[in-house]
Amino acid sequence: MSSRIGGAIVAEDLVKVYNGKVRAVDGVSFNVSPGEVFGFLGPNGAGKTTTVSMLSAGLRPTSGRAMIDGLEVSKDALEVKRRIGVIFQESTADGDLTGRENLEVAAGTYGIPRGEGNRRAEALIHQMQLSDAADRFAKTYSGGMRRRLELAVGLVHRPKILFLDEPTLGLDPQGRAGFWSFIQKLKDETGLTVFVTTHYLDEADTMCDRIAIIDHGKIVATGSPNELKDKLGGDVVTLKTAEGAADMSAVLKPLAGVVSLQKQDGSYRVKCASGETLVPLAVEACARAGAGVTGVTVKRPSLDEVFLEYTGREFREEEGPSATDRAVMMQRVRGALGGRR
Amino acid sequence: MLRELGALTRREFLKIRRNPQALFTSLLLPLLYLLLFGQGFNINPAAALPPGTPPLVAHQVLLDYFRGAPNYYSYFAAGMVGFVAVTATLFIGANVIFDKLFGIFKRTRGTPAPSAAVFGSRLIAGSAQPIALAFFVLGLALLFAHIPGLSGLRVTAQVSALGVVEVFLAIVLLSLMFATLFLTFGILLDVPQTYFAAVNLLNLPVLLTSDALYPWGSMPVWLRTISQYNPVSLAVNVLRETFFGAGQYPFGPGVYLLGLLGWTAVLMGIAIFLVSRALRPLE
Repeated sequence: MSSRIGGAIVAEDLVKVYNGKVRAVDGVSFNVSPGEVFGFLGPNGAGKTTTVSMLSAGLRPTSGRAMIDGLEVSKDALEVKRRIGVIFQESTADGDLTGRENLEVAAGTYGIPRGEGNRRAEALIHQMQLSDAADRFAKTYSGGMRRRLELAVGLVHRPKILFLDEPTLGLDPQGRAGFWSFIQKLKDETGLTVFVTTHYLDEADTMCDRIAIIDHGKIVATGSPNELKDKLGGDVVTLKTAEGAADMSAVLKPLAGVVSLQKQDGSYRVKCASGETLVPLAVEACARAGAGVTGVTVKRPSLDEVFLEYTGREFREEEGPSATDRAVMMQRVRGALGGRR
Repeated sequence: MLRELGALTRREFLKIRRNPQALFTSLLLPLLYLLLFGQGFNINPAAALPPGTPPLVAHQVLLDYFRGAPNYYSYFAAGMVGFVAVTATLFIGANVIFDKLFGIFKRTRGTPAPSAAVFGSRLIAGSAQPIALAFFVLGLALLFAHIPGLSGLRVTAQVSALGVVEVFLAIVLLSLMFATLFLTFGILLDVPQTYFAAVNLLNLPVLLTSDALYPWGSMPVWLRTISQYNPVSLAVNVLRETFFGAGQYPFGPGVYLLGLLGWTAVLMGIAIFLVSRALRPLE
């Protein structure tokens, strides 16, 4: 019996504890509306994939509730799987099967009759611009083609909600742009709800209606990209002073328009209402205090800044070498074993 | 359930078809055994009898030594059928482990396909190969009997239609049983090395405590006793009794088939319990 509770994706105080001691996800709550593109950002090990696994009926939460399209995941796992599509971080297409066969088999695993499955496969092949490669083995596909095939496989049963776990990992900029244009088109045409984790903040900024930032298993910020950037309170000016110069924190803080100041490795990261107004004032103030300014940057707030604000770390420092390395390694292994399997 | 099973089984057979090297290698092993081992090892205990032993006595010695088979090759060929039904299933669990490593299994598990369809599809494809191979071995051994200079399988009993069905069932049950066993290993284990270690640990004791290859007459009593309960021996007994007559066997083929069915049912029950836990929708 189904247990319907409203909403597209709802997480209520989700907790996942591994081996009784590692709290990978620690009381995560959010609500994703139908048709929304929701970005889930966080450093490596923050709990992103664990959260996706709990929402997509892959992992049982230690406590809390996950609801998909009104169904409680832990009670209706199989029905939830029928309503969602999942594009995993790593490639899951079967290299020994053609693109078309991958799609036809995937359709069958959702109980779609053979004829209908074949028709859907054909339509998706066309939609994903894979017609020329449809009857080639998936192991011969480029990274971008593989991702498009993954997307097609995830859509063959016409899900209402799509989970994308690092979907563009390892793709070149052109491949990433192409992938997102497919998602945008799908969203526009079908009103699909999309839940995405990504390491590319520019993607999150342009594609997501709302974003949640997770760190140490807890959500530290939620809002639209613009809301989150606005919360930073304007521009960010980074000033670098000459080596050995005295601490300028006390000089910079009182300047007009300064919201906050952080000192990092001889640089001063100053949040202010307007960077253009602050820079001449700050340079002059430092000069008067005997510290020459050797470098200045002014940034409009970006999600990088938002990330830094809420996690205390540069996003690029966290950008997944482990995840990328894993993808590259798997591609190499696939290549090496491709002929033998 | 049937659509999911059908789709996943189609995938398994496509993969078998796409890997002709593996198919060729699986044919090569029994071929080498039939062409080299069986021909070279074709021992004749009657040769050790003193000169002047009456032919009837010599014949009886042979029958006792090879449980009714007219020569070692015929005895061995029936044993080889059981042997390949085991060896051809060894790697089906490894395919599951590789599919886990390559993310393919994760994709399947992300679908609502029931665990019975996931397990069943691999079991069907995984036991089809040994069944086909067992009949290939049987056909080849029968063919060799008609090629001058080669020993072959000589069927000395009248084989009834029921006998053919019993042989078929013995091969199917044995293949199914070992496919179930190794497939369960593959689903439960995640590391190829652990899988191969487990398979090796099991494979040799199973084959070496059966009477698939040893002449019955040369086996010590304790080994004969153990081999009576070995599923490979049970299947091979059905074949030998059907091909060479019932004189040397305490029970009819139906009893051995029941024993084999018991083994298969027990292993299948354990497998269903373990696999349904391992593949439950939420980990």
